[in-house]
Amino acid sequence: MTKVKSNGIVKIILKKDLKAGDIILEMKGIYKQFPNCLAVENVDFSMHKGEIVAIIGPSGSGKSTLLRGINGLEKITEGELDLYGTTGMVFQHFNLFPHMTCLKNITYAPMKVKSVNKKSAEDKAMSLLELVGLKDKADVFPGQISGGQKQRIAIARALAMEPDLMLFDEPTSALDPEITGEVLGVMRKLAEGHSSMIIVTHEMNFAKEVADRVVFMDGGKIIEEGTPKQIFEDPKSDRLKEFLKTVY
Amino acid sequence: MSEFLAGFQDTMAYVVTLMPSLMAGAWVTAKLFVWTLVLSLPLGLPFALGSNSKFWPIKAICQIYVFIFRGTPLILQLYFFYFFLPIAYGIRLDPFVTSVITFVLNYAAYFAEIYRGGINGIDRGQYEAAHALGLSKSQTMFGIVFPQTMRVILPPVSNEAIVLIKDTALASIITVGELMKASRGAVNRDVDTTAYIIAAIIYLGFTFVMTLLSNHLERKYSRYDSREVD
Repeated sequence: MTKVKSNGIVKIILKKDLKAGDIILEMKGIYKQFPNCLAVENVDFSMHKGEIVAIIGPSGSGKSTLLRGINGLEKITEGELDLYGTTGMVFQHFNLFPHMTCLKNITYAPMKVKSVNKKSAEDKAMSLLELVGLKDKADVFPGQISGGQKQRIAIARALAMEPDLMLFDEPTSALDPEITGEVLGVMRKLAEGHSSMIIVTHEMNFAKEVADRVVFMDGGKIIEEGTPKQIFEDPKSDRLKEFLKTVY
Repeated sequence: MSEFLAGFQDTMAYVVTLMPSLMAGAWVTAKLFVWTLVLSLPLGLPFALGSNSKFWPIKAICQIYVFIFRGTPLILQLYFFYFFLPIAYGIRLDPFVTSVITFVLNYAAYFAEIYRGGINGIDRGQYEAAHALGLSKSQTMFGIVFPQTMRVILPPVSNEAIVLIKDTALASIITVGELMKASRGAVNRDVDTTAYIIAAIIYLGFTFVMTLLSNHLERKYSRYDSREVD
């Protein structure tokens, strides 16, 4: 294990009118050093606008850390990260604001950060609630709804900021298996709408079905990447073969 | 029976003569209480945030402040400020102002610790969600963190406020003419403890009002159910 010191460079370049096919994210030689471990090691990765990338891999493989490096929740230790636009994030544990109604959870950031007026923020929020199928929960507090509903509200909340790139950090891992479907259904809708998405997930079937590209990480490195077909049906590396054996 | 009635009437007449001075004392007590709360409640916040600071000198100052004011008797602090300023700087402050300053510094230390506990109880995920949405640090603190701590800090804060009602009686030792001093004056003068009983009833009245107020606030801030389901 090599200890890495120098500072990572993160460039956020706000580019209007990014067209489908333009590069939205580019990472070169990314390292993330935690006090006791090297979580991400020399990762190169880039993706296009409109692309849907699934990151898979065993626990502790650095996939969440890499994702959190993109929006600054983890400060990268070394490397260069160019982001052409804004990000939104959906967390494993939802992290809704419990003291606000679902509607206010969604309108709060646009009103505070973008100074959107209340009326248009609420109109937008209602259409997002419709998208995630929870229009009737607008005035309910997060403590009163199920986990699957919470996660759908969390997706609506992230979308309200109109991010160029959506980051999903194991969005169904905290949910009971029988209700993951409602969350995946919403994500499928987004995918059909050509949103740019990076999804860290353990849902192999979903990755296979929705992703344009699948990235397999292990030990902080990208071991293999390719189309879902290549990754799931024709894995090259032993580690990926081993991993697929354990999850199926 | 008529003897008892006559006695009762005498007592009531005596009580009526006591009321002006006791009510004047109660008014000073109320002012002392309100001034202390109004100033110490906000002052606790910078000390709470300072104690959490990553910049060690600020952290050290805040922790030492809390250590000193929580670790020494309030009565000692009152005497200290009452005598320190005149002796050291020749400044003679009004005893009422001196006791407000002392109470504020003392109670802010307690409130700081209560706030700090409340702030530290907020899940890291709340900060992460706020960051991911692009909220600034102050938007995160004032919009997300503080409102959620309200529910947790209200019971200990109102408890401290009730303790403060009774602590105001200490101001009598530095000659503030509050309720305790007024009642003691009457008792010493008339060799009759009735004034203490009335003072006790007035203190209980204050406590009762404070209890109602805190119950109302606790209900208001517990509207939402914050049980986090993982």
